This record gives sequence, C-alpha cells and structure tokens, in this order.
Amino acid sequence: MILGIRSFTSWLIWLAVLIVLTIVMHGVRQDIEEAHVVIPYLLVVLGGSATGGRALGFTLAGLSFLLIDYYFQVPFDTLSVGKPLDWVVLLAFLATAAVATQLLARAQDEAREAQRRTREVEELSRLAEHAEALREANRLKDMLLASVSHDLRTPLTTIKALAQEVAASGDGRARIIEEQADRLSRMVADLLDLSRIKAGALPLHAEINTSDDLVGAVAAPFASVPRERLKTILHLDQPALVGRFDFVQSLRILGNLVENALRFAPDDSPVEIEATRDGAMLVFTVRDRGPGVPEGERERIFEPFYRPDGSPPDAGRAGLGLAIARNLAELQGGTLTYASLAGGGSAFTLRLPAADLEPPPASL
Amino acid sequence: MTQSAGVVRARTVLVIEDDAQIRRAVKTALADSAERIVEAANGREGLGLAASWRPDLVVLDLGLPDMPGIEVCREIRSWSKMPVVVLTARHSEDEKVALLDAGADDYVTKPFSTKELAARVRAQLRRALASSLSAEAVVTADELRIDLPARRVTRAGEDVHLTPIEFDILRAIASQAGRTLTHQQIFDAVWGNAVGNAQQYLRVHITNLRRKIERDPAKPRLVVTEPGVGYRFELPR
Repeated sequence: MILGIRSFTSWLIWLAVLIVLTIVMHGVRQDIEEAHVVIPYLLVVLGGSATGGRALGFTLAGLSFLLIDYYFQVPFDTLSVGKPLDWVVLLAFLATAAVATQLLARAQDEAREAQRRTREVEELSRLAEHAEALREANRLKDMLLASVSHDLRTPLTTIKALAQEVAASGDGRARIIEEQADRLSRMVADLLDLSRIKAGALPLHAEINTSDDLVGAVAAPFASVPRERLKTILHLDQPALVGRFDFVQSLRILGNLVENALRFAPDDSPVEIEATRDGAMLVFTVRDRGPGVPEGERERIFEPFYRPDGSPPDAGRAGLGLAIARNLAELQGGTLTYASLAGGGSAFTLRLPAADLEPPPASL
Repeated sequence: MTQSAGVVRARTVLVIEDDAQIRRAVKTALADSAERIVEAANGREGLGLAASWRPDLVVLDLGLPDMPGIEVCREIRSWSKMPVVVLTARHSEDEKVALLDAGADDYVTKPFSTKELAARVRAQLRRALASSLSAEAVVTADELRIDLPARRVTRAGEDVHLTPIEFDILRAIASQAGRTLTHQQIFDAVWGNAVGNAQQYLRVHITNLRRKIERDPAKPRLVVTEPGVGYRFELPR
C-alpha cells in the first residue's frame, strides 16, 4: 500500500509540473525556439520516469508530445504540423523520451533486484552465522565434557595406582581405596554419559552388526562367571541375525542388564541372554530368577537416580544405569522394556532395528 | 629382549608420562618385565630418548604437556616398529581407533589396573619377539591350524571350509595375533582399495568365520571383539 501511495503522489506531482511548465512556456512561446521547448519537457519525462516508473514516464512522454504539438508548433493551438522538419523534432522527442524512460525503468528494476538479493544474502549469512554459532556451542559442550572427564579421571588414576602399590605390600585397607576409586570412576562415567545424551552430544554409529557378535561381547567381561550361571542362547543352526545398530552402546545396555541380573539374582540361579528376531526388530532378552521389580516401580526403574526402596545409600552405583540404557536404546530407534517372569524373576527386553542383507554375504 | 623359561623380558622400556606419580606406578608395575626403565616427562624428551636408547617397548601417555601423544606415536612409527602401548584418559572408541590407526599397538584406559598394564606390555613384548624371529607361515591356536601359504585351515585335523573372504580376514588378523586391528585396517587388508558395499559386511563375515572355527561361537576365544574398535586374534596361552 505504501508503494501505491508513493507512486500516486509522484503521478500528481509530475502532472502538476507538466501543467506548470506548459503554462509558463506558453507565456513566452513567441520568444523561444521550438527546439528549445523540447528540452524542458524531456527533463520532465526523465524526472517522472525516475521517480514514478515506466508507466508515468510513458504517460508524460505522450502528453508532452501532444502539448508540444498543440501549443508550441506553428500553427499554434492546433494539432496539425506545419513543416516536415517539425515532425522530425516531435518524433525525435518522442523517441528520446521513450528510450530514456525504458532505460531508466530497467535500471531501476535492476537496482531493486540487486537490493532484494543483497537482503537475501544478508539473511542467509545471518542464518549461517547462527548455525555456525550452534555448531560452535555444541563443540564447546563436547570439549567441556571431555575435559571434565579427563580432569576427573587423572586424580583417580593416581589414587588407584598408589592404592594398588600399597595393597601389594599387604595393607587390606588399600584394596578398599581401590574399590571406591573404581566406583567413583564408574559414577563419573555414568554422569558424564547421561549429560552427553541429554546434550545430544553422544555420537552414534549405526552399522551392520550381528547378534552373535554382540552377545559374545556382552559375555566376554564375565569370563570368570561359571557357564551355568551366565547362559548365552544363540540359534546357531540358523543364519546369523543381522541388525543395524551401534555396537558399543548396545553392548553397554546389555552389559548393564547382565550386571544387574548377576547382582540381584541368587548366586545359584541362572542368568540368560537370548537373541531372536521379531519382524523388523532384533530382540535381546536378559532373564534372571531374582526377586523381580514390584508392580508399581516397573517404569520408575528407568528414571535417573532411581534406587529400590530400602536399599542402603551406598549400594552399587548412582542409579543411572537403566536410565542411560533406555535412552541409548531409544536413540537407536529401539526400545527397552521390563516384564516380570511367571514364577519370579525379571526379563528385560532390548529391541533394535534388524537388517536384511542384499545380496547375502555367503554368496560373496 | 631376552627370553628365559618362557618369560620375555625387555632390555629397555621407555615410559613417556608427565605425571610423576603415574610414572612411578608404571615403573613399579613393569619392574619384572624390563631390565631398565627410562623415563621422559614430555613428548620431545621422549622422542629423544626413543632414538638414543632404542627401547624394546614404549609406554606413552596421550595427555602430554608439549605435544599430542598421538603425534609422538606417529613420529616413532615413522622410523621404528617398537611396540607402543598407550595410556589414555579418553574412553571414546573413536579415539582408540585413531590411536591404532596411528600405529599404536595397544592401549590401556585410565584409571588402569597396574596388573592389566603389565599383562598388556608382556603380551606386546612376546608378540614383538615372535615376529622378529620369523614371519610364521603356519599359525596354530588350540586345535586350529592355519597354513597361510596353502590357504588351508584345519580344526582337530579336519578341514574347515572358509570362503575366500573369510580366509582373507582370518589371515589378516591371525598373522598379527595379539594385536587389535581396526575395522579399517582389516578392510584395507582384505578388500584393498575396492569400492562397494561389501565392506560393511565385515562383521557378518566375522560371525560366519567364528561359527566355523570357534569351539563355542557364543563365547569366542580366538577371534576377540574389541567393541567399537576392531578385532584381535588371540593365541590361547
């Protein structure tokens, strides 16, 4: 609308100028040469097209043409033209005015386009700067977490190393120092990881992996646990189950579940890990014959800092394991759920995206 | 390096670590594995000592005050094959992969158990000694026998039928037994510069390989997974 008002004003102004010019020059038309009349009109046309655009320019040119012909060409006050040379002057005026209007208008269009582009570029660069700032903030967050982790671990390394040295000389208390240093270092790791997950700063590498490989790696750190206590169930008579998931983080989830199961279930009861496939998902189940989780707490166990009622404050870890595990499962497009077992015990089920290989690698 | 009654002992081990307490702990842990332990508190000094002492093994801390430990590792690797065992406070797998790709032989994450460190160092010394004696044409582990030139694998005397790719993977890791190879290093050894998506199936091939050569594929002992990093062929002791 603002543009409409502005162009309306310039139409009014330039038509007024045209009228005033005609009146003024009409008064002195006996004293000026015809060719000199043309110049002021040309100026009006140029001025009009510069401020009012193409339409105003052409209108002024047309009007000027008629005014010049009518008032300033002999015979005066008629539209007829006396000499052929006068035609030349008139037509030259019209042509000059039209070309000038056209050129000016085009220049203005281009200027406007250039301005629009500049604004666009500015807008884009503002956006880019913003994205850059976000990336930078993320990087700093990453670096901060890494450096906090480094700073917390270095003194723990020294404490642990010295405790091992003292323990070697036979002081039993040193063993406790070492255990507590280990505990603290696990808690630090858990806290850092939870903050990494929450900050979206945990890199995930979803790749083709097999359930054999994952289950084998879950069992590996528990090599000292008797075979009857920790059972791995893989269906070796069928082709290997393949999925697309982050090996390290999935290992962490299952490792945590197995550790919990071994801790809470009676020493003589078995803990099982089984891998199967259900439609588009791989299913990893960790089963134990422990006390299970009371009805009302089956979702609460996945909350950070959860601790079973009545457990001593220094039992085990900070209560972050299952919260981290569920977050890690969901980050990979999977789920982690709990179900109680008939006859007592718990079953934790991790579902991760399965994959179908094309072509099957056996043929390679 | 010396070997007596099956125990490998280094003549010289170089420890590059800026923290004096940790340096002392490392020294104590390795007392039985080395006749002499040389210490450096920063990277420059460490590189100088590595060149002058030609140690049998280097224990290298990554967080050095004057230069990144990974640079020290690369520099040593540019002129020597001496085993490098890295101490790192970072627990990220990407970091470990970068270390191995830079030529480190093994790593121990802080806070580490001194026993664990000593065991890793002994394993690297044994491996270095074995590979200096001869490049073995036949690798035996448990009841498994791998004849590398003949491309023949037997288990308890029975032929094991491997696909060409399975054999290539086995050869890559078994010829460097005791050393973790990154996924990338195995890709390069098996597929060379081939382009295509065959490489993403490495883990599937490993699984199929294990099912053929492991006594219990659910608890593999020969082909060991180093999560997020790669695979290692273990010679059972």
